[in-house]
Amino acid sequence: MMDGCPGSKMQDLRKKEETKGDESGKRESQLGQWPIQLYLVSPMAPYYKKADVLLSADCVAYTVGDFHKDYLKGKSIAIACPKLDEGQDEYVEKIKSLIDDAKINTLTVMTMQVPCCAGLVAIARRALESAKRKIPIKSIVVSLHGGILSEDWV
Amino acid sequence: MEKYLNKGIKDLISEFPKIGDILNEYNIGCVPCNVGSCLLKDIIQIHNLSSEDEEELMARITGAIYPDRKIKISKIKRKARLESKEVKYSPPLKRLVDEHILIKKWIRLIPTVIKNIDIESESGRRLIIDGMEFIKYYADGFHHAKEEDILFEYTDKNLDIIKAILQDHETARGHVRAIFERLKTKDKESIIDHLNGYKDLLTEHIKKEDEILYPWIDRNLSTKQVGELFSKFDEAEKKIDKEVVEKCKRFVVEAEQRIEKIKQEVLK
Ligand SMILES: [Fe+2]
Ligand SMILES: [Fe+2]
Repeated sequence: MMDGCPGSKMQDLRKKEETKGDESGKRESQLGQWPIQLYLVSPMAPYYKKADVLLSADCVAYTVGDFHKDYLKGKSIAIACPKLDEGQDEYVEKIKSLIDDAKINTLTVMTMQVPCCAGLVAIARRALESAKRKIPIKSIVVSLHGGILSEDWV
Repeated sequence: MEKYLNKGIKDLISEFPKIGDILNEYNIGCVPCNVGSCLLKDIIQIHNLSSEDEEELMARITGAIYPDRKIKISKIKRKARLESKEVKYSPPLKRLVDEHILIKKWIRLIPTVIKNIDIESESGRRLIIDGMEFIKYYADGFHHAKEEDILFEYTDKNLDIIKAILQDHETARGHVRAIFERLKTKDKESIIDHLNGYKDLLTEHIKKEDEILYPWIDRNLSTKQVGELFSKFDEAEKKIDKEVVEKCKRFVVEAEQRIEKIKQEVLK
């Protein structure tokens, strides 16, 4: 898919060994893949296989200070905006494929507290309902100040 | 005080009976527990009281042990504290809690079964046999098996609370075996005793799991482990004959009408 474009070329960036983060100096990135945009990712990518996947609304990473350390670490990711992105039915299909084909272990949906953002949880629910496999889905809602408002299994 | 934190609760209560009353006030039901080997520090941690309640409880326990000395109370170390009292289970634990609901429905029928017990008629015996098969295939084969083979692998099996839970499962199996045997020898009184024994045991057991054990396990599970548990439960359930599980579910629905029928026959 879209082979020529470097912005969407698939890359496995997962580290072989766990590296220790330095709390006082530079933070290590916990991103282990490319691309990350839900429209661009392939559910067949190796880093999704049986993974714990984080489905994050675009704004979340800018809001949560310790996003990498506390939420991205150990997970594969896909990001999307449920308000502005087009083709949301395709998103449902992609997540369904992550559940059925990549056989992901869990899905954690991180959204902002603004009402329109809950659409991302609804997309995940629709995907789960139409999927053959069942997996646990967790919803984490982030406040505009970067705090965690709620963390619940759906 | 440290040495008392590491002491089994039954010994502690027999040495200081007041501690039993204090625990009761905090809804910590150690007094009727038949094992009682849990350590005081584990009990405090597992029950996840609010900070204020824990402080107050520890102060009162210390007061019961050392009535005329002022002792500094040691705080119990633990993982993240859940401040809200409302229990929200993760999906795999929720599945076990839902299974408890069906088991509790059958348990609630046991007093009526006993009241109308008839081990002479075919229908009366059949009801007891089917009830025991429900326990054997559903409560034990379907439910306890998931706890023992999968869930408890995520805990420290040397912990006394896990030992107590496993002991309950064994005792429950003993009641069922005894009932099957006494049906052969037609020992009605003994069947009634074991039915009552099973009912009391499982009622306490399920309460312990729903309110204490499962929330505690859930607090210590990572997201990854929750996913693993969920798929392991799926795998385990796939190996069990669906028809047997359905039959068990039907049994509970129909049992009430069957008891009513036996009642009518006895009246005749
Ligand atoms: Fe149990
Ligand atoms: Fe149970």
